[in-house]
Amino acid sequence: MTLFRSPRAVPYLLLTPALVVIAAVILVPLAVSLWSSFTAYNLTRPATLYSFVGLRNYARLLNNADFWWAFGRTLVFITVTLNLELVLGLGLALLVNQVTMGRKVLRTIMMFPMMFSPILVGFQFKYIFNDAVGLVNNALFDLGLITQPIPWLVDGTLAPLSIMAAEIWMSTSVFAILLLAGLLALPKEPIEAAKVDGCGPIQVFRHITLPFLMPFIFIAMTIRSLDVARAYDMVRIMTNGGPAGRTELLWTLMARVGYQNSQMGMANAMGYVSILTSILFTVYFYRKLVVARRYMGGVE
Amino acid sequence: MSPWKSTTLALALAGATMLASPALADFDYGKFDGVTLKVKLIGGTQYEKLYTRIPEWEKLTGAKVEIVSSKNHFDLDREIKQDIAGGTVNWCVGSNHTSFAPQYGDLYIDLKEKIPAEELALYVPGTLKSAEVDGRLVQLPRVTDVSNLYYNKRVYGDPAVQARYKEKFGKDLVPPATFDEFKEQAIFLASPPNLYGTAFAGKDEGMTGRFMELVRANGGDMFDDQWNPTFNGPEGVAALQWFVDLYNAKAVPAGTVNYTWDDIGQAFAAGTLALDLDWPGFAAFYNDKDKSKVAGDVGFAVAPTGAGGKRGAWSGSHSFSVTESCPDKDAAVSFVVFMTNYDSEMLEAEAGNLPTRTKVFEDVVAKFKSDSNTYMADMFETWEKSLADARTPPLVPQWIEVSNVIWPQLQAAIVGEKTPKEALDQAADEARTILEDAGMIQ
Repeated sequence: MTLFRSPRAVPYLLLTPALVVIAAVILVPLAVSLWSSFTAYNLTRPATLYSFVGLRNYARLLNNADFWWAFGRTLVFITVTLNLELVLGLGLALLVNQVTMGRKVLRTIMMFPMMFSPILVGFQFKYIFNDAVGLVNNALFDLGLITQPIPWLVDGTLAPLSIMAAEIWMSTSVFAILLLAGLLALPKEPIEAAKVDGCGPIQVFRHITLPFLMPFIFIAMTIRSLDVARAYDMVRIMTNGGPAGRTELLWTLMARVGYQNSQMGMANAMGYVSILTSILFTVYFYRKLVVARRYMGGVE
Repeated sequence: MSPWKSTTLALALAGATMLASPALADFDYGKFDGVTLKVKLIGGTQYEKLYTRIPEWEKLTGAKVEIVSSKNHFDLDREIKQDIAGGTVNWCVGSNHTSFAPQYGDLYIDLKEKIPAEELALYVPGTLKSAEVDGRLVQLPRVTDVSNLYYNKRVYGDPAVQARYKEKFGKDLVPPATFDEFKEQAIFLASPPNLYGTAFAGKDEGMTGRFMELVRANGGDMFDDQWNPTFNGPEGVAALQWFVDLYNAKAVPAGTVNYTWDDIGQAFAAGTLALDLDWPGFAAFYNDKDKSKVAGDVGFAVAPTGAGGKRGAWSGSHSFSVTESCPDKDAAVSFVVFMTNYDSEMLEAEAGNLPTRTKVFEDVVAKFKSDSNTYMADMFETWEKSLADARTPPLVPQWIEVSNVIWPQLQAAIVGEKTPKEALDQAADEARTILEDAGMIQ
């Protein structure tokens, strides 16, 4: 077995265990789900995993208005929530960064929403926004601001906003924590030099703090854009995509098609279309990250 | 057994003594020393009380029961489908439901081949029949469900409300006998946000099921004999219009389109609903002083009839099934019979669930009466009247899938995005595609 003893084989041999593990937990499931998206795979009839239907699932998706509405809604949901979470998280991080005493306690408190499982957050906000017994409507009644209950989780505009509010409450702290880490690592010298040169706080933030934070922002964005699908559990509990599909996101639609309707082939086709979107988002943020880092390194 | 003996036994049971039941004496539960039975059971407070009987079966047969999964029905359904897909059905007994059972193909055995006919004759015939899929008894029902009316006696007994109602409609205010009266009263009694006429399950199978109930009450049905969708006919449009009218009149909370059973139960218990068409399992909860504001003021009435003069009586049963791949089928069958035998069914019935054995119905009413619990005795007597009309959804594997294209369309009509006809036509088109793909419609 001289082949295995050759020095040139050593790196490959050392990498083999890692490759095997990656293949087993990532590549094989990916390949199987990709294959199943070209079949009429029905969960309760395992034999259908071999009934190849070519691009039929994808062709049906192209003409499926419900899917494209859910797709569009998901894009809007991700864009709005991630940007608002970024702004609020940045604000929180800047505020906490100013605190001199009890910063550790504040950081821990800030992480509380992340500790709740999305299902619990869903139940919590379903109750808060309940039209009959919910906290929000009760408060508005008591303040005399409304006389008729507001159907928060029903109205075409309010329902998506309510879900976004829950998602923002749950995940803003992720941004805050990551950006706070960036702020803590910020070198003091450039800021002090700028202050000596007469820069105001806004100028310092605009020209020094923010550019320095950009890599952290893009890392946070990349992580969150991949992990935002955690909101599925929350939406499932709050509205399950309803009423009349007003809050239907790709995740609730895929879960219904795949598990309740057992059409796993079709659900996987939906999954692959949405994975492509996720990849585009990630590539975009990654490029931005590279650019921001280059800027920080003083190359440009 | 002589008539004298059986009468004595029934009396003894009615007196709540702990004598062995006739069923326990007759059915041979067998001996299965060393066998460990893996089971997947539905979880949740109302279902788990029965599982306190498992040690008794273990003692009786020498077998052991290992509960490998205990989840709500939707999660259990997902897990079972994953097991089928992954070829990992390594358990013997699973909780099942008449609405879910047709999906599972040949996962479960035909219990008629394993349980003697005389034992099966002790179950309510209609309930047992609806537990069959393609003539195979794939599940043994443990409790059955059908909805009837709960009404808030504080509202219905208020002299001022009664007088206003009589003045407006020229008749006495009594619980509605027809769905038209139901709507009329719900709209009349509502004074939001403190009191709504009623609330309905507005999503998932709950929405489709209630709609189906009204379609059938109006004399229509979901499909014809060839599985062509017929729910978009005049009976269906009238049924959907009923929901739309209630919603537009603000007789139901606006959030009802997101409600499921628990939300409705909480609302009725909080005293914010005048009427509630609901399942028997809520009766005990509504009358519990610690949990319900309407305790002591809950009335029962048989579900209303529709334009067709019928009751829709949407029904379903929770059940147990035995897998084909089980290596100890006899032990598994013994287990499912034990979990639905006379004593088990008495336990279920005393907790307020509708039992599946004929004899338990009369015995539990007698027991409630002897305990001076007229509330629960009334409940059982009311519910028993509607059992003759009980009908399950169409028992086809595609039912849940079809339901999933119907309820979003019903919602669209209710919140005013479409007319009932438009919504139902679209739902019917989508349902047709599903049934055509499945080869049901040629």
